[in-house]
Amino acid sequence: MKVLKLLLLPYMAAVIGAAFLWPEPAKGFIGESSRIVFFHVPCAWASTLAFIVAAVYSAAFLWKGKPWYDDIAAAAVRIGLLFGVLTLITGSLFARVMWGSWWNWDPRESSYLLLVFLYSAYLFLRAAVEDPERRPRIAAAYALFAAVLMPFLTFVAPRVTASLHPQTVINPQGKILMDTPTRAVFFGAMAGFSALFFWLLSIDARAARLRRTGENLHRD
Amino acid sequence: MSALARAWAVCAKDATQELRRKVAMVAVFFFAATALTLVSFAIGPFGLPAADRPALEAALLWIILFFAAATGLPRAFVAEEEAGTGLALRKTVPAVVVLAGKSLFNFVLFLAMALITIPGFLILLDWKVNSPLAIAATMLAGGYGLAVVSTFLSALVARAGQRNVLFVLIAFPLILPLLLTAISATIVATAGDFPTTPLRVLLAYDGAATCGAYMLAGVAWED
Repeated sequence: MKVLKLLLLPYMAAVIGAAFLWPEPAKGFIGESSRIVFFHVPCAWASTLAFIVAAVYSAAFLWKGKPWYDDIAAAAVRIGLLFGVLTLITGSLFARVMWGSWWNWDPRESSYLLLVFLYSAYLFLRAAVEDPERRPRIAAAYALFAAVLMPFLTFVAPRVTASLHPQTVINPQGKILMDTPTRAVFFGAMAGFSALFFWLLSIDARAARLRRTGENLHRD
Repeated sequence: MSALARAWAVCAKDATQELRRKVAMVAVFFFAATALTLVSFAIGPFGLPAADRPALEAALLWIILFFAAATGLPRAFVAEEEAGTGLALRKTVPAVVVLAGKSLFNFVLFLAMALITIPGFLILLDWKVNSPLAIAATMLAGGYGLAVVSTFLSALVARAGQRNVLFVLIAFPLILPLLLTAISATIVATAGDFPTTPLRVLLAYDGAATCGAYMLAGVAWED
């Protein structure tokens, strides 16, 4: 595991280098702006993955009652929000170059901003419940309820109205519209960002466990 | 006593309590009336270009309905905790039944508010609706989703600090897909067509929210 973590650094460096040097910029985009796909989409994917992990561990907490699962769920939301904010920033940079404005209220931009609000609310809710026995249950219930309604925000709402956003990997044609170098770097970045998420998750969850243990000792 | 009868009893209890206190219900209707007056005073029936009217009117109508509802719907479980009756209710009635009863009351409250707001909207803004049936279907589907999600979230925040602020914070991002779809449906209905696609989305949202809320009701409300 330690070796994998050490390998992640040169791997990410290679992915970033390849993102700027290997594929040709995509047609129909201004300048080099299409290269944002190697950072923006993997950030969005890592963020979505984090929220799915949060839902899975929230369900596991409600089923088994192990506080460690709640630590993982809360950490996943925190890391997911980090990647979510990075998705918004990279999307905004692209919007400035392509559409002339940092923010366009495009349905996909807006729905992603709301997704960030939705999971920020999870952290507000945790902070507002003072009872440490009740807090993980309430947080888990909210995380699962949010997971049930999340597809309406990320998949349905952006498709009900017209969007400026370029076609996503999940498109009506059901095809990945990329040449071979772009596809290689894109999926390499997706794998790298996923690994980075799991690494950050393990650090944050262990830190949360230490904090919880400290609080329990302090209470006793 | 069947679960349905008990849910009805919870709904009737809430209605009796709210009718007796009046404060919460008056606040909801007063908010809707104030917002409606403000909107009609600011833009009036002729203050908008004809081409922009359907979209702006639909958005304004749902903004009024949502914020008026947000003053009353979160009270479902919060009122039990404030009155000190939460524990008794938890010990005597299963959470799913309480959620059903309170959702029903909130749904009726929303429909009553819509029944007062929509005629006001028609008169004060000279709102032209070419498909009243489609508007009614949108109100039913949108109001149901709003009631279920608000009632469930009310159970979550009932024993948290800063309940009212917290409710708006956690409800807004969850309810927004419903509001956006309801606005789309209202625009289509205003034009005289039946909003099949937005209504299908609304019904799917209602179904997902109902399943999620009923599966998690026990976790949110019971100790």
